Amino acid sequence: MVFGNAPRALRPYICSSCAKSLKLRSRKFATAASPDIYDVACVGGGPAGLSLLTALRSSKATSHLRLALIESQDLDRVRKWNLPPDQYSNRASSLTPSSQAFLSQIGAWPHIDTSRVQPYHHMRVWDGLSSTARITFDSPTPEPAIAHMIENQNLTRALLARLDSLEPISLLDKTSVREIHLGPPPSPLTPEPTYLNLSSYPHVTLSSNQTIAARLLIGADGPNSAVRTFAGIETRGYDYNRDGVVATLKLPSSFAHHPSSPRGVTAYQRFLPSGPIALLALPGPYASLVWTTTPSQSALLKTLSPEDFTAMVNAAFRLSAVDLNYMFTLPSNQLSEFQWRDSVHPSTASEAKGEIPHLISSVQQGSIASFPLRLRHASSYTTSRIALIGDAAHTIHPLAGQGLNMGLSDSKALAEAIEYAVCHGADIGDEMGCLDRYKGEVWWGNQRLLGAVDKLHWLYSVGSGPVVGVRKWGLRAVDVMGDLGVKGWLMRQAGGL
Amino acid sequence: MAHTLASTRLFNLPASFRFTCVNLARTFSVLNRPPPHYAGHVPLNVFERGAVAAGSAIMSLLNPRRGDLIAALGETTATPYFIYRLRDVMLSSPTGRRILRDRPRITSQTMSVTKLRAMAENTVGRAYVDWLDREGVSPDTRDSVKYIDDEECAYVMQRYRESHDFYHALTGLPVFVEGEVALKAFEFANTLLPMTGLSIFAVTRMKPAERSRFWRTYLPWALSNGLKSKEVINVYWEEQLERDIDDLRAELGLERPPDLRERRKAMKEQRKAAKEKREKMGGLMAD
Ligand SMILES: Cc1cc2nc3c(=O)[nH]c(=O)nc-3n(C[C@H](O)[C@H](O)[C@H](O)COP(=O)(O)OP(=O)(O)OC[C@H]3O[C@@H](n4cnc5c(N)ncnc54)[C@H](O)[C@@H]3O)c2cc1C
Repeated sequence: MVFGNAPRALRPYICSSCAKSLKLRSRKFATAASPDIYDVACVGGGPAGLSLLTALRSSKATSHLRLALIESQDLDRVRKWNLPPDQYSNRASSLTPSSQAFLSQIGAWPHIDTSRVQPYHHMRVWDGLSSTARITFDSPTPEPAIAHMIENQNLTRALLARLDSLEPISLLDKTSVREIHLGPPPSPLTPEPTYLNLSSYPHVTLSSNQTIAARLLIGADGPNSAVRTFAGIETRGYDYNRDGVVATLKLPSSFAHHPSSPRGVTAYQRFLPSGPIALLALPGPYASLVWTTTPSQSALLKTLSPEDFTAMVNAAFRLSAVDLNYMFTLPSNQLSEFQWRDSVHPSTASEAKGEIPHLISSVQQGSIASFPLRLRHASSYTTSRIALIGDAAHTIHPLAGQGLNMGLSDSKALAEAIEYAVCHGADIGDEMGCLDRYKGEVWWGNQRLLGAVDKLHWLYSVGSGPVVGVRKWGLRAVDVMGDLGVKGWLMRQAGGL
Repeated sequence: MAHTLASTRLFNLPASFRFTCVNLARTFSVLNRPPPHYAGHVPLNVFERGAVAAGSAIMSLLNPRRGDLIAALGETTATPYFIYRLRDVMLSSPTGRRILRDRPRITSQTMSVTKLRAMAENTVGRAYVDWLDREGVSPDTRDSVKYIDDEECAYVMQRYRESHDFYHALTGLPVFVEGEVALKAFEFANTLLPMTGLSIFAVTRMKPAERSRFWRTYLPWALSNGLKSKEVINVYWEEQLERDIDDLRAELGLERPPDLRERRKAMKEQRKAAKEKREKMGGLMAD
């Protein structure tokens, strides 16, 4: 039984008498009903959960901790994930340099299939209503890139590969959380004066009927976090009433961004009245789309033929909002509308200047999907013996491509807090001894980022009136002041440098 | 209803101001005038545009016969903003888009007056040709657009100009001066083209009796109908010729001008006087 290992793992930071009592207890009460005790049990094996566990295992101070991962999906599917070079997952994210540094630090980066990763060096952002206002971000040299586009599965597969290469942890996959409760109150009948009191330990009953207890329970279980609900942590925020439409797009084969190309690769984002549309390069002639639309627009987009969908994407980067709104009223034939409008106002000149992306030639079959967009921020990330990371703690509008990066920075901060507690002999489940450090490190920064991205959303979802004029001048001013360091500051924010 | 439509139309104004700056920013010296964007296009820089607008405004007040000046005034005041707005109105309507795609022209070749004269009473085509005949004009009497830079917007201006006689037929406004000025007011409320608004200044040249009828009767009718009816620029006239004109009015949400009986009576009495006046005024109101 695994339980027998627990005292070894706990010993470095619980007093020796407690450890002794634990040993006693384990001898006395290690029946089928008693729970496995872990130092850290993490619910959710997405990017946030996997990176936290990998960080803990790969750091000397925390590598001995007893770790468990509870994940409802089959992790073998993550391990075996493999797509041919001409196919890309529709779920791709922009990885900032600081996220990349963290992944290197925990030894996961070498496990990433870098042939499927695309750095980009420039950003073109412009307003779909005031066509003259645009902002250009260029990194001064090809290295470092502004960020890297990576498929989420490429990242999770690498994290899991790195985790598999380290001392094994308990991987409880194909297992979901059935129930979470606190341990039983200490029995007054227990004769010993000191014993390990499990009443403050969260106990997780799994779909396999097994129950595990954790000194520290991590909620990395995404936006509908069961751990957060158990902890009674409130979230604030609202639904944007917008969908994020994602798809994998193909450019003409003659056009492929080469990582070595001297011009570098550009990411494009245009703010339309419903929200921004972004085209992010993937290797070769491929690109990833994230388009913020109203729910009815996303419903229509999903019914279109591939040709008409492609025409809508091309229209969204080229035509006026008037044309685009009209095309959203048509059940089909968007291609013919696009061809006509593009012939009246050809976009070839701005395309040649690199101001707008190349024309898309097709959309990868079956890659069009949509997600409702929400703003949520947990009022706290921690309570006694519980910490939330990743989307369980916050969901953000995808316009700044920060969701995944925030989750990774949570992991980094929490792993560091745990390491600090272990090194200083504190209880890793204790708020004062460990968790406050984590919360203090990331909560305010995340709050600021969530607020800024939310404001950008509202600023740009205004379709008319003086705001359009103000933001046009604002965007222009930022572009003009680029040399004064404003853009550098914005880029550092975006890149998390 | 009329109120909300009107206010949304006006509220949308600053939004589309976005287009203005592109064009306002354009300055060039007369020595390196850019190439024309379409046959007959005369590119003007900001200062020239202002000069043409001011000059044509003054000259056309002094010399109302100069239809070409009215046309120039219409074009130079429609840019940078208003003609783009009207183009967007067309782009938001399926029929408007078809018109912009097909770009039909109304000329004596495309509009055979003999065929139109053979149409049944109360059809759109018949009402139109009756108006032409009464005025002694033909579909060809419209100037070509030359000062609008965007080639598509130039077509929108051309279409507006060529549809003008259909607006007469559609509104059924009287032919004499307060009817003509009322039609301008209607067009202004409906298209927001500034020149149509400026033309209302012609009210200063009316006789007191005409003026009071204009203020009391025709102007309120024109403004409320112009605002509440659908945009007339989106009517594909070529496809509506056989249609019952009252039917079309109903579809557009247009009421007949008030005091029709009085108007008919007045028409009879004043036809003679009006004819004389028209001869005097020549092209002023033709645009
Ligand atoms: C349209 C869209 C575009 C985006 N674009 C970007 C981008 O460009 N850049 C970026 O950085 N981010 C982006 N994001 C956000 C990013 O995808 C998320 O922030 C990221 O996936 C969060 O990781 P996570 O590990 O916190 O949560 P998740 O990835 O949601 O992982 C949660 C895991 O928990 C498991 N789980 C949940 N409940 C239970 C349970 N009860 N029991 C067991 N297991 C459970 C789930 O199976 C899942 O594996 C985007 C998001 C959307 C919706």
